[in-house]
Amino acid sequence: MKRGGGIPLFYTHAMTIYCHQLGIIVEFSYCISMNDGLPCRNSIGCYKERTDIVAILREKFTDEELRKAFSDTPKSRIERIIESIKNEE
Amino acid sequence: MDRKIFLNEKDMPKQWYNIQADLPNPLPPPLNPATGQPITPDMLAPVFPMNLIEQEVSRERWIDIPEEVLEKYLIWRPTPLYRAYSLEKYLKTPARIYFKNEGVSPPGSHKPNTAIAQAYYNKVFGIKRMATETGAGQWGSALAFACNQFGLECKVYMVRVSYNQKPYRRILMETWGAKCVPSPSPDTKAGRKFLEQNPEHPGSLGISISEAIEDAVTSKDTRYSLGSVLNHVLLHQTIIGLEAQKQLAMIGEYPDIVVGCAGGGSNFSGLFLPFVRDKIHGKKIKIVACEPASCPTLTKGHYVYDFGDTAETTPLLPMYSLGHGFVPAPIHAGGLRYHGMAPIVSRLLMDGLIEARAYTQLETFAAGITFAGTEGFIPAPETNHAIQCVIEEAKKAKEEGKEKVILMNWSGHGIIDLAAYDAYISGKLEDYVLPDEEIQRLLKDLEKFPKPK
Repeated sequence: MKRGGGIPLFYTHAMTIYCHQLGIIVEFSYCISMNDGLPCRNSIGCYKERTDIVAILREKFTDEELRKAFSDTPKSRIERIIESIKNEE
Repeated sequence: MDRKIFLNEKDMPKQWYNIQADLPNPLPPPLNPATGQPITPDMLAPVFPMNLIEQEVSRERWIDIPEEVLEKYLIWRPTPLYRAYSLEKYLKTPARIYFKNEGVSPPGSHKPNTAIAQAYYNKVFGIKRMATETGAGQWGSALAFACNQFGLECKVYMVRVSYNQKPYRRILMETWGAKCVPSPSPDTKAGRKFLEQNPEHPGSLGISISEAIEDAVTSKDTRYSLGSVLNHVLLHQTIIGLEAQKQLAMIGEYPDIVVGCAGGGSNFSGLFLPFVRDKIHGKKIKIVACEPASCPTLTKGHYVYDFGDTAETTPLLPMYSLGHGFVPAPIHAGGLRYHGMAPIVSRLLMDGLIEARAYTQLETFAAGITFAGTEGFIPAPETNHAIQCVIEEAKKAKEEGKEKVILMNWSGHGIIDLAAYDAYISGKLEDYVLPDEEIQRLLKDLEKFPKPK
């Protein structure tokens, strides 16, 4: 993962949003790191009206990291259950 | 006419209704992507007790509600059916609007209808302890309440950032005796892995789910619990619609339109499934599922087998889907966040027995404010989607000069979710509608997968 990358500091301190999954206000820094250091898959939809989120993500993450973060379909609960059972087995 | 229609406790339904007995086209089973074969009940046995798995696959039309569950339901059930006189007056509509108030349960939503049932079935199966995850805290508090009622231990993995910032749901859980821990926690292998990377890890819903399931699989006498999507969850919720049918019959009414908000499908199904049975048998009734325009699973998705991930290791579930690459826009309804809908709801939509509409978040919050300003109750954010549809239908009835009867599931109150209202009132919410061309592009990802027959 790129470090620094020219990201203005205000992105990580000033921008907050109400997260529909958690029902609370979260900082932008959470949204772009909560997925094991990668962005939340919802981050583009959540911020696209407010900022050039794609440009920010491209600056901060490699193409491979972005593919990992966004190429999967969001998992349903039942999918996560079966996946977790398999992991435990 | 009375504003509230009460059902006597002795008249509370004694059976749940199982739509699987009446589906014109049986529900295709979820498939194992590794084999392409249906997932078998034993695959779910590590996380659910077999009596609930049996309900999951049952084709029995009526399933008796155990006496012990009925006794617990009586804490808040039967729930009142309200005539929304003030909303009707405000809208100057000839429509008669009724709403089933599921916000009167101890945790404030429809969720304990299945939490109580699941706790009971786990207990009689010999389970001593239940584990689950929670994001906003609604489901966690419902299960905490249910486990408390049946003397079961309850462990709730609550996303750390939510645990720290939203204490009231956590306090509810702890008041009902549950152990609520911030996730990632040191209590599981999955949690420890994330804490080793970052001791202050804020958590995520995915991590919490992994922790809860690991807990259920590895702990003695413990099972996992889920509050939506699954067939048995929808089954337990049908008491809502069965009660409503009795209450409407008491005043000589029958709905022309039934409305509910649909995320995973549990509260909508709870109200509409008994009415869709009537429709299958010839009743003329419109049934509408309401969803966020930012996540239009039902209104713009296709019925396909959808891979859960690119590695193709998760089951194939038949459901409406927006496909790979879909990124939901921000919505403020905690219950409306699923990528896919409950398979039963998807099937009924595909069969033309229900319809779906999508609403933007600004119009739904405006509807919620209108409801609070007329009927007084502050709805849960997801409930506002149904209210917007009711308002739309009531206005249409006015234009047509028709005295339609509209029935809505008021799935919960919003007293612990006031931050969303604050964001709306202070102008911090934004609309987002997924463009058609973007949806079409996403759906192309799914064309290679087989469609259910």
